[in-house]
This record gives sequence, C-alpha cells and structure tokens, in this order.
Amino acid sequence: MIGFVSRRLATALVQLVGLALVVFFAIRLLPADPVARLVGLNASRDAYLTAQRSLGLDRPVAEQFGSYLGVLPGSSGLLQGDFGRSWVTGDPVAQEIGRVLPITLELITVSFVLAFLVSVPLGMICAIRPGGAADRATFAYSLFAGSQPEFWWGLLFIFVFFAELGWAPAPLGRLDPMSTPPAVVTGFITVDSLLAGNMAAFRDGVHHLMLPVLTKVFVLSGPIVKMVRQNMVRVMASDYVLFAQASGLTPGRIARIALKNALAPALTLLGVLYGYILGGAVLIETVFSLGGIGSYAVRSVLAFDYPAIQAVVLVIAAVSLLVYLVLDLLHAALDPRLVG
Amino acid sequence: MSDAPAVEAALTARDLRDGAAAPVPDRLFRLGAATVALSLVLMVVGPWITPYDVGRPTDDIAVPPPSLAEVPGLLWAVLTGRPHEPVYWFGTDASGLDIFSRVLAAPRADVAIAVGANLVSLALGSLLGLLAGTARPWLAGLVMRLSDLVQAFPVFITGMILVTLAGRSPTTIVLTLALLYTPIYIRLTRAEVLTQRGRGFVDASRALGKREAWIALRHVLPNALVPAMIQASVTVGFAILMTAGLSFVGAGVRPPTPEWGLMIAAGADGIVQGEWWPSLFPGLAISITVFGYAAFGNGLERRHAR
Repeated sequence: MIGFVSRRLATALVQLVGLALVVFFAIRLLPADPVARLVGLNASRDAYLTAQRSLGLDRPVAEQFGSYLGVLPGSSGLLQGDFGRSWVTGDPVAQEIGRVLPITLELITVSFVLAFLVSVPLGMICAIRPGGAADRATFAYSLFAGSQPEFWWGLLFIFVFFAELGWAPAPLGRLDPMSTPPAVVTGFITVDSLLAGNMAAFRDGVHHLMLPVLTKVFVLSGPIVKMVRQNMVRVMASDYVLFAQASGLTPGRIARIALKNALAPALTLLGVLYGYILGGAVLIETVFSLGGIGSYAVRSVLAFDYPAIQAVVLVIAAVSLLVYLVLDLLHAALDPRLVG
Repeated sequence: MSDAPAVEAALTARDLRDGAAAPVPDRLFRLGAATVALSLVLMVVGPWITPYDVGRPTDDIAVPPPSLAEVPGLLWAVLTGRPHEPVYWFGTDASGLDIFSRVLAAPRADVAIAVGANLVSLALGSLLGLLAGTARPWLAGLVMRLSDLVQAFPVFITGMILVTLAGRSPTTIVLTLALLYTPIYIRLTRAEVLTQRGRGFVDASRALGKREAWIALRHVLPNALVPAMIQASVTVGFAILMTAGLSFVGAGVRPPTPEWGLMIAAGADGIVQGEWWPSLFPGLAISITVFGYAAFGNGLERRHAR
C-alpha cells in the first residue's frame, strides 16, 4: 500500500512540475504584451520601460524562470511555496488564492456530494431493467442534463427564483452585504459560521448557496447517472449476481451488494470529473458573482496577470490531482486487486 | 456546463468494449440527427437568411417577443404579405438588435468553431493514436505522457488563458480547443489500434509481406477510427458549450459577433429586472443543439455496439 501511494504521489509531482514548466513558457510564447496591458497603449516609452523593469520582464526568460522556481540566489519562488506577487494588486498571490479557493471548494464539494446522492438511485433504477422504460427515460434525462449550458440555467433559476418568486437572494455574492461574515477559520462560510455559532450567517450562507448548488447538481447529475448506470449494468450481469438471484435473495439486497462493486470503479471517474468541475467553476461563479477561484482566474486572465495565472493553473491542477489520488486510494481500499 | 469530455470519452470507450451501450430511443436519435443537420445547415446559410441585419440596431429597443397567442396571426401576416409593423420573433435586445436574426446567424461562429476544432483534433489525435499503438515503446510512451500532461491542465481555465493571450479570434479558439481535445482522440484511437492489431486481416497482410507502416495506415487506422468518429459527435457538443462559455466570461470571440454565449452575457443584466428574452433564446439554441449532438453521438454508439 505504501508503495502504491508513493508511486502515485511521485507521478502527481512529476505532472505538477511539467505543468509549472509548460504554463510558464506557454504564456510567454503567446503574442500578448502584459506590460502594454498594464500601462495602457498611450503610455510613454519611459513608463513602459519602467513598468517592464518593475515586473522583471526585462530579464532573460531563463532568469525569470529561475526566480519563478526560486533557484536563483536571493529569490523566493515555487520551491519556497511562493507564487510571487500579483501584477495588478501587488499582493502575494498565495494569500489571494488562499482567500478565494475555499469559496469554490465549498460550492463544488457540496454540489458534488448532493449530485452523487441524487444520481446513485437514478442510475440504479436504470440498471434494474436495462433497456426498459425507466432506463430510457432516466437516460434521456441524464443525456439532457449533461449537455446543458450551466451559466444559462443559472440565469434562468435567478429569473424564476429571485426576480419572479423572490425566494432566492440577489445573485451578488456569497453573503448578504448587510450580514457580518464569520471569522475565517477554514474559509468555508458554512463551516466557519457554525464554528462561530453565528446561525444568522449560516442561514444566509446556505441561502446564497442554494441556486448555484441547484444549477451544479442539475448539470452534474448527467454524467454521474450515466456512470453509475453503466457500472451497475455491468455488475448486474455478472455471475455472482446471478448466483445471488438463484439463492433467492430479494432484489433490494442484491442491489445493495451490487452497488458497492459498481461504485468502486466509478470513483476513479468521479476523481476526473471533480477536476473538470473545479476548473469549470468559472462560469457559475461569474453568474452568481461568488468571487471564488474561478472569478479570480477570469480577472487574472483578462488583466494578463501572469503570476496569478500560473498559480491558478497549478493550484487547480494540484487540488484535482489530490482529489483524484484520494479517490484512487479509496478505490484501491475497496478493490485490493489494484494495489498488487 | 458539464465540461467533462474526457469522462464522456472513457464511458464511450467502455460502452463500445462491452456493449452495455446507452439506451437511446430511436426517436431521440432521429431528433438528434435532425438537430445536427440543422445546425450544420445554419452554420453555412445562417447569416444569409436573417430577416434583419445582425449588426445594425433597429429603432425598437428591448421589445419583448410576441405572446404565443399572437404568433399564428403574425405568422400568417408575414407569410401572406407585408405585416403592418416589424415582427421580432424573439424580441430585440437592449441595443435594439433583432434576437431571432442573431440566433440564426450564430452557428457560423459556435458550430463552425466546434466542428473545426474537432476536425483538427480528430486528424491529429488519430494519427498520434496510431503512432502510440504501433510505434516503438519509447516513442509510444512519449506520446502518451505528453497527452497525459495536456489532460492534467484544467480545461476551461487553460482555454481561457490560451484564447485570451493569443488574441481572442475564432482561429485561436479552434486551435485551443483542438489542443485540449486531441488527447481524447489519441486515447480512443490507441485503444482501438491495440485491439485491431491482433485481428486476422492484419496478420494476413503481414504474411503477404506488407510493410508495418502500410498495414497501420491502410488496414488498422480505418477500423480504429470508428470510436473516434462517434466520440466526435459528442465532443462537438462540448466544444459548442465551451465556445459559448468562453465568450460568456469575456474570453472568447469579440462582440458584436453574433454568438450565443455573448448574447446570453449581454442579456444577463436584464434578467434581474425581468427582461428574460435576450438571454433565453440564445441559451435555448445552445441547449437544444448540444443535446442534439449528445443524442446523435450516443445513438450512433448504440448502433455501432449492436
């Protein structure tokens, strides 16, 4: 098991190093001029050169890369856990990301768990009689949900539940501007407000999560139902299920036995999916002005803020790899054949 | 946006392998095929058949669409001759542009970009997949590691970065999406090549003394392309979602191009005040189109598995 884990960690680390390298050079190879973006097109040549020097862009690329990694004497970089400072705000990028990342993780994780809870029964209904009416209807739903523009559904939900019915709060952030945010412990508003015993903030936080989570659960249920269904159909066709049926076990018990074996291989795909959703949080955060890492990414990209861009890609890739690793380990724990 | 083409691809590959294929009803499959055909037709002729100029505002600002009860009468008036006043089927937006015209013209951006990106990545991915399935181990390993590396990037954010820094033109979007989707096709083709290589006709060619490269291109590749082409239909749908999503956050094609994502973004502010139509119709177009591509692709997959 230790060998398995360390092999996986080593692979993930190599991938992250590759990512850091590729991101750094790719954004410098593209025909964009961050200095012009920062000082404006009408800036004088002196202003341009001053800005270029202050960003360190007058140095050779190899030297820039060295200081980005933190291998040059006197520089602090990735090796020291330092992502550099934002070119726009001047604040350390690590600090900014530490502030926005929990907002996204909270939204994504809550949606992911809820979508999973909704999708497993749906996928199981499909698998009981593959090709039957329930299977076809559920499958058509999952196909539909999985092919929807989530930002548009978010807007529709805002129109119905905020503009028309008034049940949801204005889509203007994570908390009502009038309510006091809880002290930051984990960065998750719901968790922090519970820790602080601030029930008003908790209710407000949940209230603001309602529509974004509804949107995400809807679109996420598509691929997850398909995944559960596929694994379930395969397991239900196996010999031991036939044996269980022959032994006279009730369909409910058989479904429970089959479920465990059906979910194990789904875990790996869920890991991949989590990574995609994390990177795709940009859209839902834009619709609801949530200010998570997705909104941060948009801001950084549109402002050509290279240190922030590099950090966003690395952090999202790192979190995705970590989640993938954890689910892989869980998979291995459920299915010991994988470790060997 | 369920931007999970890789998960989709993994599921497709597995479906094809063991025949547990998607139960897509025939009616849904035909509906999907019709949607795909319509989107391709509009991609070509869309901008030529719009009732209004997509770039020139009309005098009517933010006119709501006619109510459903008025539609038959208006339709009759338009079909039989001149209606008394201008008809805006989907209403006009805050700057007075006719939404129906722009929805019709948008496939020239959305569908063309998505199809273009998939053609490029299908060509590139199937050749690299063939290489990864037949070449010497070090070369095959290199191809697969590179494709792993590309897949480790967060798709949407990487798309945003590449498109924005490269200048936000349709060409850069095509190339960016092509890069991001190529690993999917590499993986699918390679897996299929590996199974095809053991088939009788490959051994037969080899016994006839044909060269390996010739066998690979002439016999293995055509057979290995089927799953990749089925996947392409589903991936074109995802590419439409991504193209629209990119412009929705301001990192895609530039306004005033008629494009569904841009139109939704332009109408987003009005939604809170109850002006639902500028965002509703372009979103409906995306919703139907991408669903159509998914139903078509999954239906094909089922037919192939049978």
